[in-house]
Amino acid sequence: MKTLDRILAIAMNTVREAIRNRVLYTLLFFALALIGTGVLVSTLSYVESERILQDVGFAAIRVFAVAIAIFVGIGLVHREVDRRTIFTILSKPISRSEFLLGKYLGLLLTLWLQIVVMGLGFVGVSWLAGAPVGLVHLAALGLIGAEIAVVVAIALLFSAFTSPMLASLFTAALWLIGHLSRDLRNLGAQSQLDGVKRATELLYRTLPDLGAFDLTMHATRAVPIAISDVAFPLLYAAGYATLLLLAATWIFERRDFR
Amino acid sequence: MSDRNTVVCVEGLVKDYHSGFGLRAKRVLRGVSFTVREGEIFGFVGPNGAGKTTTLKVLMGLIRADAGRATVLGHDVRETEYRNQVGFLPEAPYFYDYLTGREFLHFYARVCGVSRSSRSRRVDTLLEWVGLAHAAKERLRTYSKGMLQRIGIAQALVHDPKVVFLDEPMSGLDPIGRKEIRDLIVRLQSEGKTVFMNTHILSDVEMLCHRVAIIVQGAVRYEGDPHAVLANDERDAEIVLDGVSPAFGESLEMRFEGGLRGVGDRIEVLLPHKQVNDVLGDALAAGAHVVSVTPRRASLEDLFLTTVEQGARR
Repeated sequence: MKTLDRILAIAMNTVREAIRNRVLYTLLFFALALIGTGVLVSTLSYVESERILQDVGFAAIRVFAVAIAIFVGIGLVHREVDRRTIFTILSKPISRSEFLLGKYLGLLLTLWLQIVVMGLGFVGVSWLAGAPVGLVHLAALGLIGAEIAVVVAIALLFSAFTSPMLASLFTAALWLIGHLSRDLRNLGAQSQLDGVKRATELLYRTLPDLGAFDLTMHATRAVPIAISDVAFPLLYAAGYATLLLLAATWIFERRDFR
Repeated sequence: MSDRNTVVCVEGLVKDYHSGFGLRAKRVLRGVSFTVREGEIFGFVGPNGAGKTTTLKVLMGLIRADAGRATVLGHDVRETEYRNQVGFLPEAPYFYDYLTGREFLHFYARVCGVSRSSRSRRVDTLLEWVGLAHAAKERLRTYSKGMLQRIGIAQALVHDPKVVFLDEPMSGLDPIGRKEIRDLIVRLQSEGKTVFMNTHILSDVEMLCHRVAIIVQGAVRYEGDPHAVLANDERDAEIVLDGVSPAFGESLEMRFEGGLRGVGDRIEVLLPHKQVNDVLGDALAAGAHVVSVTPRRASLEDLFLTTVEQGARR
């Protein structure tokens, strides 16, 4: 019980720090502006203007959620070490893993709040443009939230042992690769060489498969989805994020705060 | 090494800092050992780079020692739960400046497991205690350096710990700020808490500390009660004489060359403590008046400098 309370104390303080950060609002403003400009972009096409509108909306939510995770999230962890606030925290009866988990949950909660705000903007713009919004759209937004859970864990892992600049670069790179890992495996499968096939398969299994969290096609083209299309990615996100957090904790536990 | 009254016990701490992909190692602690007893104000003194802060970080679990052992209240410093009996103020602390003073203390109280029912009362008491009740609703970014030190001490006390570790608590403060912190430290000790203080401001140590350890180049070179040492170390005395005849003045000049100053028939003699009676007898016999006799005790600064010099020669 005490452990949970300590983790929640760190998480709520992280949320408070994030929502008092101006960078967050700047990014959020641009995200909402981009979702809004989907209306203009959709008018450029005579066909499927509603689909274009929602494609732009989903892309904006995904990209800005990742940007906030990287620019705000990594800074939040690094600042604790750089400004030495971590000295007073870790001198209290709180373990390093509790601290890291609290930080993770706080960041995730902040980002989920941003996704809700951007999602409301998306629904509002869709409603104004007469584009349909159904359960598939909500599922697609939910999976963006799950993808962000993995991205924040990646960011936390890198910020546990490297500088904010490198952590940002590594996280952004892994996010991009994560969206291409399925293509990588498919490409390898066509190879004549067994070694290449096995290597690409191994990479696919090791790297995050972020394509699993993308239901944009289903939502904008009204393709029906099965429960497993949502349940499997949610389980995958929980498992992958847990592994990353365990690795981050392992590194963090061994780190000297000089 | 330790007994029932020992609160902090450090034995043979060794720490290397690695750089250049771990290939280069610099030994910053070379077998640091000392003990802190219950209820005392203990000064951990040393020049910059001697290993004071590194030792304190080992005690706070922020750095892992490569060898040796450190316990606080009988617990290994790598444990977590016992820290609800320990408070810590780091050097030149930076706190969450987006929080108000009250929010800040509430946050730490929650992290320390102070119950929800007693949290507000404890926070209000501490804000009064450190004289910041008037600034409780202001964000920390508006606080002066002295106010930050005081709120820092409050966060170290939020869970009513038995031992308080302070790293350079007077550093960068003006004389008024230093006095405020000194008064707080004395008050802590009078309430039965053990205070461990890292500092290089010797006048504060001389004024506050019951015992000190002097660390030089990563090893403790002196540990004990500096006042006892200094009280027994009446090395010199200064005698001021008036109405000194030229002949007696010349004889003094021959005996204490370099230790003599004077204008007209008034002379000040700096001489070894053991020769005071002889010189006084001679002076009275020569018709001089004794204005004053002042024993010149060594200061903590002398003890510190001597220890540092000896440590540097080893």
